[in-house]
Amino acid sequence: MDHKENTWTKSFSSGNELLKNISTGEPSFPNFDSQQSQEKWEDPSVLDYRTRIEPPIKDFKQHSETQSSLPCNPNNQVKLPVQEDGQMDGSLQSSKIQDWDPRTMLNNLSFLEQKIHQLQDLVHLIVGRRGQVFERPDELAAQQQQLITADLTSIIVQLISTAGSLLPSVKHNTLSNTTAVGQLGGVYLPSMVDLNGGFQLQDNGESKVSDQSNQIDLAGNIGNEQIYHMEEHESKDEEDADEGENLPPGSYEILQLEKEEILAPHTHFCTICGKGFKRDANLRMHMRGHGDEYKTPAALAKPNKESSSEPILLKRYSCPYAGCKRNKDHKKFQPLKTILCVKNHYKRTHCDKSYTCSRCNAKKFSVIADLKTHEKHCGKDKWLCSCGTTFSRKDKLFGHIALFQGHTPAISIDETKGQSGPPDRGEGNESISKVRSINFNFSSGAPSGSEVQNAVDVKAGIEDPASYFSPLNFDTCNFGGFHEFPRPPFEDSESSFSFFIPGSSSNYTVPGSCNYTKKTGGESSSNNLE
Amino acid sequence: MSPISLLSVLTEDLLVRVYTRLGSDSDRKTWRIVCKDFLRVDLVSRRSLRILRFEFLQCLLFKYTNLDSLDLSVCPRIEDGAISLLLSRPEWLNWTRCLTRLTLSRATGLGHSGLELLFRACPRLEAVDVSYCWGYGDMEASAISCAKGLRELRMDKCLGVTDVGLARIAVGCGKLERLSLKWCMEISDLGVDLLCKKCLDLKSLDVSYLKLTSESLRSIASLPKLEVLAMSGCPFVDDVGLQFLENRCPLLQVIDVSRCEFLTSSSLQSVARGHNGLLQLNAGYCLLGLPATVLHCLKDLKNLNTIRIDGARVSDSIFEIISSNCKSLVEIGLSKCVGVTDMGIMQLVSGCVDLKIVNLTCCRSITDAAISALAKSCWKLVCLKLESCDKVTEKSLNQLGSCCLGLEEIDLTDCSGVDDKGLKYLSGCSELLCLKLGLCTNISDKGLAYIAFNCTRISELDLYRCTGIGDDGLAALTNGCKKLMKLNLSYCNGVTDRGMQYIGHLKELSDLEMRGLINITSVGLTAVAAGCKRLAELDLKHCEKIDDSGFWALAYYSRNMRQINMSYCAVSDVGLCMVMGNLTRLQDAKLVHLSKVTVKGFELALRACSVRIRKLKLNSRLRLVLSSETLETLHARGCMFSWD
Repeated sequence: MDHKENTWTKSFSSGNELLKNISTGEPSFPNFDSQQSQEKWEDPSVLDYRTRIEPPIKDFKQHSETQSSLPCNPNNQVKLPVQEDGQMDGSLQSSKIQDWDPRTMLNNLSFLEQKIHQLQDLVHLIVGRRGQVFERPDELAAQQQQLITADLTSIIVQLISTAGSLLPSVKHNTLSNTTAVGQLGGVYLPSMVDLNGGFQLQDNGESKVSDQSNQIDLAGNIGNEQIYHMEEHESKDEEDADEGENLPPGSYEILQLEKEEILAPHTHFCTICGKGFKRDANLRMHMRGHGDEYKTPAALAKPNKESSSEPILLKRYSCPYAGCKRNKDHKKFQPLKTILCVKNHYKRTHCDKSYTCSRCNAKKFSVIADLKTHEKHCGKDKWLCSCGTTFSRKDKLFGHIALFQGHTPAISIDETKGQSGPPDRGEGNESISKVRSINFNFSSGAPSGSEVQNAVDVKAGIEDPASYFSPLNFDTCNFGGFHEFPRPPFEDSESSFSFFIPGSSSNYTVPGSCNYTKKTGGESSSNNLE
Repeated sequence: MSPISLLSVLTEDLLVRVYTRLGSDSDRKTWRIVCKDFLRVDLVSRRSLRILRFEFLQCLLFKYTNLDSLDLSVCPRIEDGAISLLLSRPEWLNWTRCLTRLTLSRATGLGHSGLELLFRACPRLEAVDVSYCWGYGDMEASAISCAKGLRELRMDKCLGVTDVGLARIAVGCGKLERLSLKWCMEISDLGVDLLCKKCLDLKSLDVSYLKLTSESLRSIASLPKLEVLAMSGCPFVDDVGLQFLENRCPLLQVIDVSRCEFLTSSSLQSVARGHNGLLQLNAGYCLLGLPATVLHCLKDLKNLNTIRIDGARVSDSIFEIISSNCKSLVEIGLSKCVGVTDMGIMQLVSGCVDLKIVNLTCCRSITDAAISALAKSCWKLVCLKLESCDKVTEKSLNQLGSCCLGLEEIDLTDCSGVDDKGLKYLSGCSELLCLKLGLCTNISDKGLAYIAFNCTRISELDLYRCTGIGDDGLAALTNGCKKLMKLNLSYCNGVTDRGMQYIGHLKELSDLEMRGLINITSVGLTAVAAGCKRLAELDLKHCEKIDDSGFWALAYYSRNMRQINMSYCAVSDVGLCMVMGNLTRLQDAKLVHLSKVTVKGFELALRACSVRIRKLKLNSRLRLVLSSETLETLHARGCMFSWD
């Protein structure tokens, strides 16, 4: 036995670390995700992991009489030293104390069934997709294969552990078997973790009694913890830029809201009185007024909390605007993560800008939050480049100047004699787009509005980079006039990048300075004009 | 031989050749007034011009058409209007064609529009000096950036220039090779970073006294051609910053990290690493201690010829290391170092025999033994500073006077061991140009006479508080040292009007300090004013017997006066108005505690000089009493006030 323990310890030393990782927090999870790179099965596996963890624990608890969910029973502590004495004692105890629980078994089996069904569905899906997808078939196939192997492994592991619970005398063998399978699974971390949890339990039982209870709890909690981390991870994703996510198609469910739905001010409507709400929580609070049945904790609780025990298919959203990169039919479709993302994206990119800044009367926004953000800084963007771009921060301006040849900081307007009055946006815009390669005198017209906006455009580009660089947007998102460029938040009509497209060059004169040559986006705008 | 035959022999190109051999300004002046032919040669051959008076600016520029260097730094009344007038007629623009170098230092009256006009008119401009134009800001920097071909720019103490202005210059003048930003206090890391990204040709950069951090050094380290880096007094730069320089800037020759308080001796190692070509290292007042282990890095710097470690705590072993490693050392600065001993200096000079410049200011434990060893080993010595080395006596001077015949400058201020005998020995150094004897109370007219008799080349003499000096000494001095340009007689109370009359014989004298000469009256000042035509700087503080008649004479004769201190003098309204109104080159006046001058007198005087004065020191009481109109006019013309 000792010998066996040693080998186990050895073989799982890494696994133990993993367990610790999990117990301490997130870091292991990205690994988990990336290795599998599939989120579809992730949920089931987590689930199954949770359920699966019970049997082995229970197994053990056949000596210790501890439920994973329950705190450690003091009686166990008394008994544990006995267990320490050796295998014989352990097996003796177990056989003495506990018979197998048919309900648990049934539970396990039904889960296994469910899981097999899911796997079946997945394979169906893959078979269905194979006809459609032409791109990177090898890569995809490999991914799919990995996916299925992993799922199968987990099923096998669970099956064995379930069987092991039936035969207490074979328990240790079972465990060693599962280990082997777990290792076989290789990449399939959850199963390994799971096993380690079980194993660790035993290991600790041999060495430290006081720790054992903790370990049991811990192992029992892993499932929950994991789900917790999952949630956290997801919520983080919302804030992140999309490019971080690289979900393979099919690993998530695509939802597409209709335009009306997106633009509707309220998304949650009371089924009784029809009152609309922006937030579901508010709706639920409202519902209380319709009767006592809506006052129960269950009715007031967040509905999807319960569904966490159900398999969740990752949800991603598609923009209803045809041709948009965020539309599911786009070649390089990049899904949006939340409904809020959809709403903001749609308004910013495909809608008129109806909110005008009351300070500068120049900037327009389609999302009111953007307006508010802008108004906070409006008038403070004192860092002006000779190209007309403004920056709220000096270092940003200097970064810009370092990047572009010939650009130089403009001396602030109040110092410059020639410049006067607020810039008239519209005119400036038009003159720049229409009258190409003509000498502009900034002092006469003041830095034209569109150029002044560009700083913010650059900023905005970071928020929504995909739409910015999307060539397709260039082609199709034509709103007529000068609105051909995709419009990220803050942006007005022309993206700053348009100025750097090699096109016709014009000479601009900035008052109090020299002539310099600047590339303008004249060419691209002219395309639009024709 | 008649003059006609002489000129027929000398063709114009021969004349030009002769002309180019002329050494000094006064020789050229003599040349000019020989005849019209000679004048014409001067007009076409002259390459550089320093204009002293605004009145002649236009006609001079019209005549001298081949100028490549123009200096307007001492020309008052240069302002935007004057520039636009100068450039208004295209046929007058010949002078701008070849101009490559323009000095506008202290041209505070000039604004950005004038600068821009000027720079646009001079297409070949390569070097510009706008140092000490304290009012300059980003607009002026922006105007400077119009000079696209600029290679050299000095903008020391342009206080208003910020990162934005620097960025404009960096973008506009991409060919910049030499740039001095000393005391441009508004410039930060950002500006320097951009500069280093845009001007990759920079060879010399001075960022002294800026509020830069080590981040700037990261940027500076990327300059591939940097040869000279001065960053004196950058209090936020630390060792990390200098580490950026390690193995970067391979051509670095000169580095000045003096007064960077956060540096430790390990930064010396950073400097040494990868810079085998380093010639000069200035680490004065930034290192408290100099562990011998650190100094071993000097081994790699075979070419090092200058090292300054002023203010450091040193030990004899350091000098051993220096003398064994830096064989080619020419200059060493040990000013205010703690722990410099005779042994140390002897160690040093045993290895470094090529030393020419040695600064031992305030190394008080140095005795004759060290100086004698120095004089014997380093016979090429040119400059020796021994201020406050009390233990130095005539023995040292004897060795110097017999061994170091090339000595040109010696500072013996506050060396109480120096006496007449010592001066007699020292007079053996006949090449002496600069002699400082301030606070040497043991010297008398006799000693001065030895110097005057033998060291006739002296141009600068400091006799501050040499109370043993009297009129006879000055008689001897003016008899021997005809080339004296700078003389300090402050608090030499033995000097009377008679001595001043001797001073009047010094035709070259341009700078005279005579503070606290209580025996001098207007007669003495009149003699000086009438005799010293080149007098440009005069300090009369506490010459309380000088009254209006003296200043009247000054106003009449000293038309080259640029700077005057007449505080505590007995001048009245009339005298002050005469001085301030008549001295048309006057730029700087210190006028505090003039008890006989009324507010009205001040008002008039200031109005009289308002077009040209650049700096005024006045009693703070006047700030409230003087009319705001006058003060505003002065300020608008670029005049800086300091209120006492």
